[in-house]
Amino acid sequence: MAMHFIFSDEAVLLFDFWSVHSPAGMALSVLVILLMAVLYEGIKVGKVKLLHKTLESLPTATSQQLILETDQDSAGSSSPPVNRTHLRWFLCHFGQSLVHVIQVVIGYFVMLAVMSYNTWIFLGVVLGSALGYYLAYPLLSMA
Amino acid sequence: HSHHMGIYHMDNSTMPPHHHMTTSHSHGGGDMMMMMPMTFYFDFKNVELLFSSLVINTPGEMAGAFVAVFLLAMFYEGLKIAREGLLRKSQVSIRYNSMPVPGPNGTILMETHKTVGQQMLSFPHLLQTVLHIIQVVISYFLMLIFMTYNGYLCIAVAAGAGTGYFLFSWKKAVVVDITEHCH
Repeated sequence: MAMHFIFSDEAVLLFDFWSVHSPAGMALSVLVILLMAVLYEGIKVGKVKLLHKTLESLPTATSQQLILETDQDSAGSSSPPVNRTHLRWFLCHFGQSLVHVIQVVIGYFVMLAVMSYNTWIFLGVVLGSALGYYLAYPLLSMA
Repeated sequence: HSHHMGIYHMDNSTMPPHHHMTTSHSHGGGDMMMMMPMTFYFDFKNVELLFSSLVINTPGEMAGAFVAVFLLAMFYEGLKIAREGLLRKSQVSIRYNSMPVPGPNGTILMETHKTVGQQMLSFPHLLQTVLHIIQVVISYFLMLIFMTYNGYLCIAVAAGAGTGYFLFSWKKAVVVDITEHCH
């Protein structure tokens, strides 16, 4: 394996069928990797937004009670409305876990793409991360 | 022809039959066979895992490795959550520093600074440091496992991370640190 960055129009990325031979193919691959890096940064923000949205959609007192309940680990009676809230919280958390798995996998894919030591791909990752951060992070403070 | 035969001469311990050359010879040079796969594959024969003594050859060994990697990824997520919790708990103690500052009209005011944090030599900080080292090492191990490009092991990493996140983050879901990088 080449252990230094090279400029090349040929690479094989991640899967057997993703083999690049031409400048056009390389440009397309760089674009795909760039979008993957943008998606990665977006998912990080998306997880927080998903959490905030769920907390807001629950009635305020209930959401605080929910957080306190889960913190104090209180076992015992849950009236049906609280059960419904617990179910929604469970679904939200399950959804967040799935998003977390996607984030982990995309993070590793981007790392493996950089490991190809192709300079164009690396620049694509850097630009994609920058673009993704630039686009996504302002959405965080927009509560 | 001797170097042509040399390629097939390498025994199976280093070059399993599945791995064919997929990278092109853009750098010219000789017919260097790549030791490391550079694309995803599903196989359980002759899979080296992190250490030279850990080689997987049978489905049973692969199943065991799958479980071990799954648990390692789960432990990693749990360690992250545990460190967050420890940090929050140790920051309950707040230090107040009062210092005189010049105020308007030449008077001296007492300004009180509130610092929330750990002292360098305190036990919580040392514990955080040790846990940080463990976290860094495990995160690199997980990266190296993913770098084997073995499909089973990569799925184990992803599934373990998801399960660990689901189980350990259940209560701590309110506090989210998004500035962490891929690990």
